[in-house]
Amino acid sequence: MSEWLESAITRARGINDWLAPKRAHALELLSTTKWPTRKTEAWRYTPLRSVERSTAKVIKDVVALSPVDIAGLSAIELVFVNGKFDASQLTKILPEGLSISLGQTLENAQQAQALNAFSTIKPERHLFGLVNDALAQDVVVVSVAEGVEIAQPIRISSLLSHGAESHTRVQVSLAAGSRLAVIEDVQASGDSLNTAFVEYDVASNAYLEHYRFALQTGTNVAIGGSHFNLHDHAKMHSTIVGFGSDLSRLDTDIIHAGQFADAKLNAMYLLDGKELFDLHATVEHAMPNGTTEENVRCIVADRARAVFNGRIHIHRDAQKTLAELNNRNLLMSNTAEINTKPELEIYADDVKCAHGATVAQIDKQALYYLQTRGVSRSKAQVMLNFGFINELIDLMPNAALAEWIRPIIRERFSQMEVK
Amino acid sequence: MTEQIDKALAREYEAGFVSDVESETFEPGLDESVIQRISEMKGEPEWMLEWRLSAFREWLEMEEPDWALVDYPKIDFQAISYYSAPKSMKDKPKSLDEVDPELLRTYEKLGIPLIEQQMLAGIAVDAVFDSVSVVTTFRDKLEEAGVIFCPISEAIKKHPELVKKYLGSVVAKKDNYYAALNCAVFTDGSFVYIPKGTRCPMELSTYFRINEQNTGQFERTLIIADEGSHVSYLEGCTAPQRDENQLHAAVVELVAMDNAEIKYSTVQNWYPGDENGKGGIYNFVTKRGICHTSAKISWTQVETGSAVTWKYPSCILKGDNSVGEFYSVALTRGRQQADTGTKMIHIGKNTKSTIIAKGISAGKSNGSYRGLVRMNPGADGARNFTQCDSLLIGDQCGAHTFPYVESRNPSAIIEHEATTSKVSDEQMFLCRQRGLDPEKAVSMIVNGFCKEVFKELPMEFAVEAGKLLEISLEGSVG
Amino acid sequence: MSNTKSLLTIKDLHASVEEKQIIKGLDLDIKPGEVHAIMGPNGAGKSTLGYVLSGRDGYSVESGSVTLNGEDLLEMETEDRARAGLFLAFQYPVEIPGVSNLEFLKASVDAQREARGEDAISSADFLKEAKAACKQVNLPVAFLKRGVNEGFSGGEKKRNELMQMLLLKPKLCILDETDSGLDIDALQVVAEGVNSQRSADRSFIVVTHYQRLLDYIKPDFVHVLSDGKIVKSGDASLALELEAQGYAWLQKEPAEDELEG
Repeated sequence: MSEWLESAITRARGINDWLAPKRAHALELLSTTKWPTRKTEAWRYTPLRSVERSTAKVIKDVVALSPVDIAGLSAIELVFVNGKFDASQLTKILPEGLSISLGQTLENAQQAQALNAFSTIKPERHLFGLVNDALAQDVVVVSVAEGVEIAQPIRISSLLSHGAESHTRVQVSLAAGSRLAVIEDVQASGDSLNTAFVEYDVASNAYLEHYRFALQTGTNVAIGGSHFNLHDHAKMHSTIVGFGSDLSRLDTDIIHAGQFADAKLNAMYLLDGKELFDLHATVEHAMPNGTTEENVRCIVADRARAVFNGRIHIHRDAQKTLAELNNRNLLMSNTAEINTKPELEIYADDVKCAHGATVAQIDKQALYYLQTRGVSRSKAQVMLNFGFINELIDLMPNAALAEWIRPIIRERFSQMEVK
Repeated sequence: MTEQIDKALAREYEAGFVSDVESETFEPGLDESVIQRISEMKGEPEWMLEWRLSAFREWLEMEEPDWALVDYPKIDFQAISYYSAPKSMKDKPKSLDEVDPELLRTYEKLGIPLIEQQMLAGIAVDAVFDSVSVVTTFRDKLEEAGVIFCPISEAIKKHPELVKKYLGSVVAKKDNYYAALNCAVFTDGSFVYIPKGTRCPMELSTYFRINEQNTGQFERTLIIADEGSHVSYLEGCTAPQRDENQLHAAVVELVAMDNAEIKYSTVQNWYPGDENGKGGIYNFVTKRGICHTSAKISWTQVETGSAVTWKYPSCILKGDNSVGEFYSVALTRGRQQADTGTKMIHIGKNTKSTIIAKGISAGKSNGSYRGLVRMNPGADGARNFTQCDSLLIGDQCGAHTFPYVESRNPSAIIEHEATTSKVSDEQMFLCRQRGLDPEKAVSMIVNGFCKEVFKELPMEFAVEAGKLLEISLEGSVG
Repeated sequence: MSNTKSLLTIKDLHASVEEKQIIKGLDLDIKPGEVHAIMGPNGAGKSTLGYVLSGRDGYSVESGSVTLNGEDLLEMETEDRARAGLFLAFQYPVEIPGVSNLEFLKASVDAQREARGEDAISSADFLKEAKAACKQVNLPVAFLKRGVNEGFSGGEKKRNELMQMLLLKPKLCILDETDSGLDIDALQVVAEGVNSQRSADRSFIVVTHYQRLLDYIKPDFVHVLSDGKIVKSGDASLALELEAQGYAWLQKEPAEDELEG
């Protein structure tokens, strides 16, 4: 076991609050967990040196940080600063049918309910998920009442100052027939370490629109997860945009716990420098008649490394499932690296499942074509890269977010070219 | 419907008989003295014994791999006998006339007559029975062409320079747990050397038979195709129907020098165990070839037997412009488990690899494709195409795909696709409406699914594969 | 109507799919050499009839009888019905990847010959016949080597069905909406193929929604199927009548959407 994990466990043992039973369970699991090495399948391509060496510390002092403005976006802001929930940034009057509370402030009955639901969707196999179970203290509970449509998206921002360690946790539940959009956003600077996990329970006929922007860069260590449980006829549409950092690892789990659920996941990540981004996306079809469509695209430049693991698991009872995964990667440099592993594990016969993965470089013919029309090579490269990603941005349901992220991505491409 | 399909697939295991041959068999158990005795029985030189012992010491330090999607009770390596040979083989028969007729009858029953006059022209056979090679046919004819085809135990004595140079050069002694074990205790197998610029005049074939109870078979095959040469090699295997599991841990190494080509085909039909999963062979095999400049290695396998299969025939594409191919059909039924696939390691420039893997799962079985495609930084212009298709028959089986794709070269192109399907009611109805009985319909649909792989098998071998999967019509028309 | 023995006799047939009754008391008698057209609105049970007669799984007969050449058809397995001379040309032929058309056809022909106690046909002879059949239905010979219906266009699939009919030489052919999705040229090719197969010992059931096909394949009898029953029978002129007036006048309580269909 690493010193880092030992210290985390020791610190967690000192906490005693409403989550104690769950924390005890997580600690029990952690105490028997082996620290991952190259031989640990889930961390095969992602060494944890940056965690072991991290000097990030929990910062007790109050730091004033607020999330970036997104033009045209009027969100309900749910802000964590260095792991502490900042209630002052939350709108005072919430739309009817929406509640947002800090776990420790809930009334007994609700708190018992929240405790019950805590860590039931995120699978126990996620090592840092267990760390988050043990160390997250400000757990925010969000719920939407039956049949209610919340027009304003909720933005969960995890903001870190230099050298900070933070562990944030949110629990979201959508009651039957409700609709909600949630944006998860991590903004970290400098040598920080962050685990951020959100669990979503989407009841029957409810619809969740989800975004996760993992735009950290530099020496930040960002490990997190978004985990979804879909009941009968539930729908979700998720968009993930990732930039790498010293170590960025994101796990998503989509569980079809009910019939006729529908999941769409579009993920794109753009890596530069010596960044590492590792996306593990798992879909569990436990019930019949579900559909899943995943599109994952990745561009890797310079000395960056991309890791993707896309697992689709069709359980014995999940007949009539339709599941597809499409993974396309562009490798831009001789020193960059792509490791991708789409997986199918199928135990039902009347299903349609497929995955495809390609690794290539930018289309040379297209590049040449643009150059013959007078576009500079570097501009042409940005254009083509952008086109590759833009197809997925076009699919983002929220136009304001799409407009916001486009120039950011363009900027990133032009930086890639300079090197 | 599923019942009909299951019935169609539930053929008898025809090779399940036991030959009544008096054998000399070691007591179960494994330590350095057992290895010394094996080496002694084979009359090996000192260097070979040392090599075995060093592998054994490595093996003791290693752990059994657990990453494959197979589940079986822990193997007690002390409960296995590591050597068994028919007594009649002790005096080393000089010609076929001196070989125990019961041994010849065994191969005849398996459809492999060893009397040269009765054989299919164009195939030379090395027949390995438990731990020894019984006979190798057509050796004179091959020698005329300069081709060496003999039991590896003989090659160690007669061609030590070649064996020393290449044995363990593709699969290192401590490559993996089973390979290390094989290095320590291997008993026989085939050795092939094709000289420069030679096209081997016949198909070469080794037929492996496990007969004795509680013995493991640890075969070792080494094929060296010198510059510009060409060889096609076939391998078949069967074992009696027994209630106990038996271990088969082979290592095959292929060396394709510049511009050489090796085509290696396998029809694996080890006893799979009964429908409840009792008995059957544990098949843990390491097969790997290295391709030098512009060389080509093509693996074709039809895997229908064994209780547990753990097998990844691979190509190291070291030389520029070299080519690796892997064509596989893996059929699992009953409670069989197969975890099989390939590794294509692209090192040289403009190297190319093709992977076509077809998995058919029926009954309560599980079949997995596990593969690795790696483009190293120097593999400019390299290409890979992979297609993995699974066919599920019934709702009690599993079909899985675990491809690892690693690229470190922007000019390399990798394409991987996987699909899954079933034998549809509509397809069955169409076939039956045209007058085909359900068994014929299933075998036709399944064979259609496997077609891209079957067409890679050498003609002579397609017959055996055909028997296994009922492709009687394939090739007879059109 | 002559006094020759019937080829197919259906008496008071009731059949259902997934517990929903579709055929509700159908009678039909077909003598050798006759061509019967079955017309009717969508949802009348036209395709179901073909599936029931050929014994598709999931289609269950509740009562009534069907005999082919005096033998109880309903007692037979699907493949035995085919071997007894029943051929269904599918409306939407399924693809069988990897199984070549030729391989499939030879296996079918051999199975049927074997059932009749005949030897398998030699590959060379069969190839000759198959090439001739291709030519007759205007399919390139290369289609013999392609997977069954794999990547065929709608029209090619229909012609492929017809080619199978030419080679299998059935006694009773059921053409299930063979005209759907065909342009006029393809329709003519198909009709010519069918007409060339008309003979004193081969009968046809032509299931169609439109009269158009019957301009090319002249039926001896036309039946109107509505709500699982034959509600009217007549000669070829009935088809023209239907073309002019639609199906509505034959139905007891026409539903709005059916009028449009």
